[in-house]
Amino acid sequence: MTAAVRPKETAPPAAGGVLECSGLTRRFGPRTAVDDVSLSVAPGETYGLLGPNGAGKTTTIRMVCGLLRAETGTVKVAGQPIGPAAGAVKRLVGYVPQDVALYPDLTVRENLRFFGRLYRMPRRELDRRVTEVLELIDLGSRARDRVDSLSGGMRRRLNIGAALVHSPTLLVLDEPTVGVDPQSRHAILESVSRFGEEGMAVLYTTHYMEEAERVCDRVGIIDRGRLVAEGTTRELVALVAGRDRVRLTAGGDLKAYAEACLRLPRVEAADVTGEHGEMVETVVKDGRSLLPELLDLAHQCQVPVRSVEIVEPDLETVFLHLTGTALRE
Amino acid sequence: MRTVLAIAAKDLRQRLRDRSAWVIVFVAPLLISGLMALSFADSADFSAKVGVVDLDRGPAAAGLAQVMKSPELARTVQVVAYESEAAARRAVDDGKAAQVVIVVPEGFTAAVGGSGRPQPVAVLENADYPLQAQLARAVTESYVAQVNAARLSVGTAVAAGAPASSAPQLAAKAALLRMPEQVRPQGLPDDPLKVISYFGPSMGMFFVLFSIGFGARGYFAEQRQGTLDRIAAAPVGRGALLLGKSLSTFVYSLAGLGTVLIASWAAFGARWADPVAVAALCVGMSVAVVCLTALVIVVARTERQAEGLSSIVVFALVLLGGNFVFAAAGPPILRRLALYTPNGWALRGFTDLGTGVRGLPAVGVPLLAIAAFSACVAAVTVLLLRLRRTG
Ligand SMILES: Nc1ncnc2c1ncn2[C@@H]1O[C@H](COP(=O)(O)OP(=O)(O)OP(=O)(O)O)[C@@H](O)[C@H]1O
Ligand SMILES: [Mg+2]
Repeated sequence: MTAAVRPKETAPPAAGGVLECSGLTRRFGPRTAVDDVSLSVAPGETYGLLGPNGAGKTTTIRMVCGLLRAETGTVKVAGQPIGPAAGAVKRLVGYVPQDVALYPDLTVRENLRFFGRLYRMPRRELDRRVTEVLELIDLGSRARDRVDSLSGGMRRRLNIGAALVHSPTLLVLDEPTVGVDPQSRHAILESVSRFGEEGMAVLYTTHYMEEAERVCDRVGIIDRGRLVAEGTTRELVALVAGRDRVRLTAGGDLKAYAEACLRLPRVEAADVTGEHGEMVETVVKDGRSLLPELLDLAHQCQVPVRSVEIVEPDLETVFLHLTGTALRE
Repeated sequence: MRTVLAIAAKDLRQRLRDRSAWVIVFVAPLLISGLMALSFADSADFSAKVGVVDLDRGPAAAGLAQVMKSPELARTVQVVAYESEAAARRAVDDGKAAQVVIVVPEGFTAAVGGSGRPQPVAVLENADYPLQAQLARAVTESYVAQVNAARLSVGTAVAAGAPASSAPQLAAKAALLRMPEQVRPQGLPDDPLKVISYFGPSMGMFFVLFSIGFGARGYFAEQRQGTLDRIAAAPVGRGALLLGKSLSTFVYSLAGLGTVLIASWAAFGARWADPVAVAALCVGMSVAVVCLTALVIVVARTERQAEGLSSIVVFALVLLGGNFVFAAAGPPILRRLALYTPNGWALRGFTDLGTGVRGLPAVGVPLLAIAAFSACVAAVTVLLLRLRRTG
């Protein structure tokens, strides 16, 4: 991250936003995918929707872009309602789908030009913007190559570029860094930060806590369709002031151990996490003083502890604290 | 409008990048119709079952039958005799035993002999066998013309002292002397190369029907790739999307069919009477292809279903429409079913054009039928779309 990035504390106020969602609800059969979600994004603001798999991020975004009808609630972009039938207002929105959505048999430039033409851009402006976007996503040298000859990371960058050609006022990105190597990821995050600085309103979904912390001015935490908390990273972390996240790597029956932890007085949340379920994370008031008890309990539960870590409060702590489950990565 | 064109242009560009699309719509039909033209080059595939009703029972009528059985026509024409006009009419309507019938009226010979005006010889046709009818008409007209010419000279001979009772025989003989070679140069379909006039459009249509599959699969591929969502996120109405996709399918079909026809004309000597009518049939077929593509898209739910469904539609139409079988050679039920397919009708139009019929008489009814077919398909599509939306 470069020094050019604005400090998060000075986030602009949300009132009079480019995007205003209120009371969005959408069910699929018996399952409520999005439940009464309200949020707004101001010009120049980057809003992060942080939540695990199946939280309802994509469903929310599809409603924001007018691809899916909201059962109840409204979406307004620049004060105008958006929906599947809305026309002109869609011009203000750039949509970056979660999965790469490009024509593999067309070239990089042809893809960009096609998506630009959908927005009725005059030819000359289109050519100029395509060249600019190619530069921005660093694919100028591959402009004549077919998309199916690009690497995964390049396709991801082009996936974003295709939403930028028409210079949207609101850019909506759905997990743009999934399956991307660290270098491309860095480049993507870098450019997302720049969009905000250039005055674009950005709605960004992710299930990576560090990404939300790094690029977003404000973060909404979404879980099982509900927006459980919202604010700047600092505000959110303040929710768990005085608490620590204790991360314990161990073997044995960790599920039973996590349940046992929850019965301790100052433990507010505990969940099994880690790539192979080899960790237990707990949110604890004053973690340091409770550490002996936690280790003692591990011993009682016959859980051989390999390492213990006390982490300063961060969004992960907030999520665990609010939902009782860990954000899996 | 600009977005419609953008979508159509993008689709066409993608088709052009797809080698299999090239092969199927442009290369394969040319190859096959070329092969057909070559294999029919020295053995005429054309045959005619000509019924003859001899109500005259005189030598002039016998002469006509004899012309039909002449060695020059023996390879193509099979003559069947009928006792009554009614029996012959039944046979020709059925089309199995006779495809066309020549009725020689009572008093035909007598007229040749000079007693009264010659009665007209009637030709009973079956609409499914225009080539055979054309052949019978040409032979008959040619024969009658010969007989009429001969009548004059026979009249002179009789005046000069020949027995009047031998006049008809003389006239018939005189006519026969010069007959067969006069029949041939009428541009008849027993010119083997003309088979291409039938197989060119037939194969062209067969393969153009495959673009139903391309169009439908293309739509579902866009859905799978997520590009359809991207288009929906842009200020593009459903109508513009539909129009753009239809336009590309239309242009593609028209280009495919047009290329095949032009190539069969330029390279293999196919001939049709009326270029405007040919173009109208191509346009009609392409519209039908667009409607069928829309139907497949609405009925199918996945790319695979679209693929399967369009294959079924294509093969059903091609089998029923007679693109595989020389329509005249198929069983009557097939010929009747062909009238439920746009390609069957178009083929009928092309056959008429190939035998020299021009303009509206050749393509009026086929065009109407194709339009009706397309309208039905479009109506069903819209209905299903409505049901889907409310359901
Ligand atoms: N078209 C659909 N039909 C049925 N259920 C759906 C549909 N789309 C989403 N869902 C359900 O809605 C819930 C939310 O899904 P959504 O895709 O919005 O989650 P997400 O937060 O984007 O998850 P991920 O991080 O995995 O992309 C899930 O339980 C999902 O199964
Ligand atoms: Mg998602």
